[in-house]
Amino acid sequence: MAITTRQTEGFTMPELEYMAQHESITIVPLHRMDRIELVRGTVGPFRPPQKTTVPLWLAIMLKRTNRCRIVAPKWLSYEHLRDLCKREEQPDAMFTRLPTHYLEIAHMLLTYAEDDFVDTQAVRRLLQDLREVRQSKTHEGLRMLNSLQLQMDNLSAAEINEIRPLFRHSFDMLRQLDGLAEATEESQQQSQFADQSFAEMDDAFGSKYVH
Amino acid sequence: MARRNYYDIDDILAGQERVPCVLRADLDGLGSAGSGGASKVHRNARWALPYWMADRLNEEDYVDMEVSPVFSKRANRMYAASPESMQLRAICQHYYQFGLQLGDMVPEIPHVLRNMYVQRVIKVARIAQQGQNVEALDFVQSLDKTETRMLKLCQQAQSAISDWHKNQAYALKRAAAVSAAGS
Repeated sequence: MAITTRQTEGFTMPELEYMAQHESITIVPLHRMDRIELVRGTVGPFRPPQKTTVPLWLAIMLKRTNRCRIVAPKWLSYEHLRDLCKREEQPDAMFTRLPTHYLEIAHMLLTYAEDDFVDTQAVRRLLQDLREVRQSKTHEGLRMLNSLQLQMDNLSAAEINEIRPLFRHSFDMLRQLDGLAEATEESQQQSQFADQSFAEMDDAFGSKYVH
Repeated sequence: MARRNYYDIDDILAGQERVPCVLRADLDGLGSAGSGGASKVHRNARWALPYWMADRLNEEDYVDMEVSPVFSKRANRMYAASPESMQLRAICQHYYQFGLQLGDMVPEIPHVLRNMYVQRVIKVARIAQQGQNVEALDFVQSLDKTETRMLKLCQQAQSAISDWHKNQAYALKRAAAVSAAGS
């Protein structure tokens, strides 16, 4: 089967969008409907104007056929995003908490359900800013790369997917270098070759690769 | 020796780099293999052999392999001093892989390579994010094979997200070859 390079290096964005569509979202149905039993769960009876929770794919489908109104999730409001942005921009802050698929969900909602939001342009701008700040932080994280572990909390699925090729190859390279260094260290200890540069290398490795 | 992927093309190409060797034995009829034209090569003649050949002959004691000038002591000091301005493509196109292969011989190689790699890959990531501009062009032209591959992967990942945002993730575009042939 022919696979593109993009598919070997991680997920593609449409795949992530597909996976994000399993998240639940609140809607206000416009028509009455009885309970439906689907493979992944039951979609409850629709009694307008009561709000119900449905998977995102169903919400988008209903919205496109004008059978519901979507209630914006709490984190996709202008105020909340603005607060997150401010917190994110503080120096030395960790990544702020956002839903794992926030990029995909936001994209889908802003594309298909624009009329259910208060000010989409501002929200889009804020999302863009947020993404840029987080991206610059991941680049800072690249600096702290070592071959054992790198912990970055609260990265969303799309962001992880974006940095996956780079980080994966860097990890591989660093691990190979480490293995090589260990092998030469062992063989060196068996010989009387105690160079000055070798002692410096010992210090460098002992101090956890801080340059 | 340990880090070889037998079928990896880049590995094979990296092993092709020449290293200086000193012959230990008199070899008859092989003069055309080295840089001389004579048919008999004497002991202690200097040859530049590809690394894969030199390594095996070194173990069989036909030659004495010496460190390639790419990783000599002087070169290592230069690498440690300014990793970002080194012209890796001019020095050795498969710099990192060659270094991994030579790792048994030169003990400072992991340290040197790690230093180079971490600093340069950060710059590569930054260039991929900000798009290429004129100053970055020199740096991009000095990358070796692994780094260019990394740059392309980063750029692809970036464009994947931005394309998808513009709803062009599935866009069908005319192939460059077709449009060039048509015009």
